[in-house]
Formats: sequence, C-alpha cells, structure tokens
Amino acid sequence: MAEFALAARRSFDMTKLRNWTLPAAVIAVFIGFSVVEPRVFSQVNIFNIVTQTSYLAIFAMAQTVVIVARGFDLSLGFTVSLVSVISAMVLVAAGEPSLAVAAGILAGLAVAAVIGATNGVLIAVVGINPLVTTLGVANIVLSLASTVSDGFPVSGFPVQFSEFFAQGSVLGLPVPVVVAGLLFAALSVLMNWTRFGRSLYIIGANPKTAVAAGIRSGPVVAAAYCLCGTLIGFGALMLTARTGSGEPNLGGNLTLESIAAAVVGGVKLSGGEGGVGAALVGALFVTVLSNGMNLTQVDGYLQQICLGAIIIIALVTSRGHSRH
Amino acid sequence: MTSIAVSGVSAGPGRSRREKFIAQGGIVLTFLVIAAVGTYLLEPRFINRLNILNLLRNFSFLVLPALAQMVVMTTGGFDLSVGAMVAISSVLTATVMLYLSSVAPDMPIALSLAALAACLLVGGLVGFVNGFLVAVLKLSPFMVTLATASMITGTTLYYTQGIPIYGVIQQFSDGLGRGQVGGIPIVVMIAVAVTVGLVVLQRQIAFGRHLYAVGSDLRSARLSGVAIVRTTIAAYVIASCLAATTGYLMTARLGSGQGTIGATLALETIAAAVIGGVSLRGGIGRAELVAVAALFLTVTNNAMNLLKVDSRFQTLMLGIILIAALWIERSLSRRK
Repeated sequence: MAEFALAARRSFDMTKLRNWTLPAAVIAVFIGFSVVEPRVFSQVNIFNIVTQTSYLAIFAMAQTVVIVARGFDLSLGFTVSLVSVISAMVLVAAGEPSLAVAAGILAGLAVAAVIGATNGVLIAVVGINPLVTTLGVANIVLSLASTVSDGFPVSGFPVQFSEFFAQGSVLGLPVPVVVAGLLFAALSVLMNWTRFGRSLYIIGANPKTAVAAGIRSGPVVAAAYCLCGTLIGFGALMLTARTGSGEPNLGGNLTLESIAAAVVGGVKLSGGEGGVGAALVGALFVTVLSNGMNLTQVDGYLQQICLGAIIIIALVTSRGHSRH
Repeated sequence: MTSIAVSGVSAGPGRSRREKFIAQGGIVLTFLVIAAVGTYLLEPRFINRLNILNLLRNFSFLVLPALAQMVVMTTGGFDLSVGAMVAISSVLTATVMLYLSSVAPDMPIALSLAALAACLLVGGLVGFVNGFLVAVLKLSPFMVTLATASMITGTTLYYTQGIPIYGVIQQFSDGLGRGQVGGIPIVVMIAVAVTVGLVVLQRQIAFGRHLYAVGSDLRSARLSGVAIVRTTIAAYVIASCLAATTGYLMTARLGSGQGTIGATLALETIAAAVIGGVSLRGGIGRAELVAVAALFLTVTNNAMNLLKVDSRFQTLMLGIILIAALWIERSLSRRK
C-alpha cells in the first residue's frame, strides 16, 4: 500500500516536472546555439524554425494518433516519398493549373490514406504486430516510390502549387504554419472530445477495459491508421511544394524524426498517454536542435547520432511500464 | 515448462496434426521446396555448380544475422541494429587492416585475428548497451535498437562519408572470402557450424533454455531462478557479435570496407525469423527452422536475379513475403 502511494506520488511529481522540462530544454538549446552562432537568434531564423516545426509537427501528430493506441508507423518516411512522387506526377500530367493542383492534392491524400488503411487493416483486423507490419509495408512503399518515377525526381509542376503551399501566406502567417495549426486544432478536438479519440486512449491504456467498455477496437484502430496516413499525406504535399518537385528520397529520416518528436514530447510508447500537443512541443525541440546544428555546421551524420541519443534519453526519462 | 524449453513450441498433450505440422517446420520446408522446384522449372541454370555456390554464400550472409535476430526474438526482443552492426564491422575490419598492415606487413593471420577481435569488441559493446537498456532500464527493444541503429549508422557514415575503405589484405579475402575446403566455401562452413552450435545451445544447454524462459514468461522465469537481466544482456551481446562476424566475413568477400551494406538486413532477418516460426511475442523459435527460412529467402532472391527481376521489386517481394508469412502464422494459430 505504501509502495503504491509512493509510486503514485513519484509519477505525479515526474509528470509535473516533465511539463516544464521540455519547454525549458527548448529554450536552453535555443539560447545555447544563439551564443555559439548569433544567426540562430535572428528574426529570419526564428521565422524559419516556426515554419520547419510545422512540417515535422504534422508527422509527429500522425505518429501520435497511432502510438496512443499502442501502435506505431515505421512506413511514415517512405509514404512521404511515394505521396511526393505520385502527387507530382499528377500535377505535371493534369495540365490546367487550378485543376492540376486539386487533382494533385487529391491523388496525394488518396495514396496516403490507402497506405494508412492497409496498415490499419493488417494490424487491427488481421491482427499482425504493428511494428513488423509497418516495417513490411514500408519496404513495399519504398520500392513503389523508387519504381514509379524510375528513381528520378519529378519536376515541372505548376508554380502555383509551390507559390501557395510553400511561399504563400494567409493573414500574414505562412501557409505551412496555418495548415499545421488547423490540423492541430482539429486533432485536439478529435482526440479529446470525440468518442473516437477517447476510444483510442482507452484502447491504448488497457485493451481489456476497452472490450469491457463495449468499444470495438478493430474499426477504431484501423481508422486511426487511416487518419495517420492521411495526415502524412498533408505533410508530404507541403514538403513537395517546398522542394518544388516530387522526390523519391524525400522521406529519408522522417520516420525516426517523427518518432523522436513524439517520444521527446512525452507520448508514451506503452499507449494511452500524451496527445498532439506533446507532439507539437516535441517537434519544436527536434527542430530547434537540428536548426542549431545546421547553422553551426554539424555534420549530417553526427546529427543522426544525436537523434538516436535523444530518443534513448527521452525513453529513459519517461520510463514507465514498458512493452515490446 | 520443460516442454516449452526443450522444443521451443507450446506442446500441449492434445496437439492437432496441423499444429504439429507447423511446429515441426512443415510450412517453411514446403515454401523452400516450392521455391526451389519452381525456380528450376523456370530457369534450369538454377542447378549449376557456380550458381549453387553463389547461393550458399549469400545464404551464409543472411543466416548469421537471422540467427542473431532469432536469439533476441526468443527472449521477446528485437534487434533492428543488426544491419548497422554489419556495416560498422565491415568498415572496422578494413580500417584495422589498413593501419596495422604498415606495422606488421607480413602477418596476415595476426592481422585477420586483430580485425575480428576489434569487430567482436565493438559488437559486444553495442550488444551490452542494447541489452542493458532493454533488461535493466526496461525500455522497448524495438525503440532502443532503432535508436542505436541510427547512432551506429551515423558513426559509420561520419567516418567513411560513404566512401569504401580499401586496405583489406589479399590473404584475408583469398582465404575467407574465396577460400574453399573440399569444394565448399569456408563461409558456408562457418554458417553451418554456427547454426549447429545454436541448435545444440537451444536444446542441450541451460542458457539456451533460459532464453526461452525469459521470452515466454518473465514471472515464472524469475521464480524458477533464471537470471533474467544477465540472460537478456547475453542474448543481445550474442546477436551483435553474430552481426559483427557477418560484417567481417562480408568484408572478406567484398574486398573492401563498405559502410553502406546491410540497409535492408533488419527487415530480412525479421522476415527469416518469422518465416522460420519464431514468435514475435517471444518464447518460441528454433535455429534449424530459421536456417531453412533463410535458405528459402536466398532461393527466392536468387530466382529473381536469374529471371532478371529489377532489384527494387525484390524489396517489394520481401515486404509481401514478410506480411504474408505473418498473416499465415496468425490465421493458423487462431484456428486452434
């Protein structure tokens, strides 16, 4: 009994502490890099960080939706690549600009949703382990991404697409920030105030409770993967607009980065804990760190080592009950 | 408990014929026979001394890391860092030889052993870190090894910047890479010896049974006095050392240190293990069946090469085979 109370108090203190450690860490890292490299503190760069964060935040939120229900998406990075290539091909082929932009967006989102749904059906309906399923799907998607365009970037799509989604602004805010903000708002409502969102948390916290509560977890989890895929689609379209071409290698490190952002933000891998807000702050942390390392010219491969180290540190500090 | 430990499958008294078929590797053997006969019918060059030798060599480079994967998977874990470990060992082997050959130019055996020692040292270290994080800090094995894989790959590529390292001594690649005894490549002999070693370990040695115990039920393992932390760490150390050995042997074959090899190995080894009947939930897995599964995957790859299928489709096939295998395992185990 005493042990219980102690454990409860300790975890309470830890949560309270964690609420402040991450924002503090973001500020500390930012100030640290500013001291080493004054350009970090410039207005242009702060603007940059905010824009960059919105891309990663979309992916981290996608990852969060499934992690909350004890899932995982290792196919995220290659989904980004495939969506980028296919939407670019549609954009190029469709001719008339406004029609092309609409068709490109639809095609991209459709591809992403189909990949998400495939993951969802295999995991929730067939009942295969999420890690291995998404690892297998990742490789299928990778080979498709490098096959459909013969491995070459797809360029020459209407400039309007990039002009709006990458350089454009709405009410003085960059479009990527607006899109990420809208998705964040919608997901906050969905995760906290709807039957679907709450079901996800219950399934993640304890699948048996979910059954007892009359939740049919199969369709809910499958829908979560489909939602995750669609969100990845949004992020991939925004990234494609920024690059100005469909890139078969666009996804590269994104799987690891999105997981890092979610885990650092405090989304528990054991499910049922953490939300899109955590993903957002986690994304900010990873972005501030990689932005600082880029400006201080830290080698890209060293950054990869840092990313791995950060994941482990985040896992250790948020250590609770663990599972495979 | 003992029946689980000995056979590696949950053997109840009333096992159906189907369950027995699965447990004894019926599915994977059927897969292998179909793949081999099918390939021979489509392309008779499949049965050809050179092709078979080539196939067996590729098999060796897959079965070693697949067995590594099996060892950690039977404890209920995962090792996504096997591919990264193979790559860093390859670079390490070439680097050690490059620097030491100026110190001791005429000592090929000593140089080869020094390189192997370096690989095993790094492998042991990585395995210890993985095992420590999983067993002592109780972190998710998948995440831990994903993160360490990123760190190892980052280190390898930072050092090489993607450029191969030359400096592998001739005698090493002649001896281990191309060498044969009685018409059988040395690499194949090593792979077979390791497989046999693990079969013996799993069936005859207490430590082998402890691996199953840790994977099938932590509580009863603890109650029966199994040193869980030590066993888990040892499993990860063995896995990383096997992966390191693979990298070492591949370097002999390739003749240079390559920091970019092994990228798809995490997937391939998990596929081989799953097809070979290793349970993703731990506690079940047998080395001889994993070896058969690795042979099956090598035959399919070889077939696709012979039939000139684009290598990108081979990745596609691997993904499909993995999911299909899981699907079959899932639907068969549900029907009992």
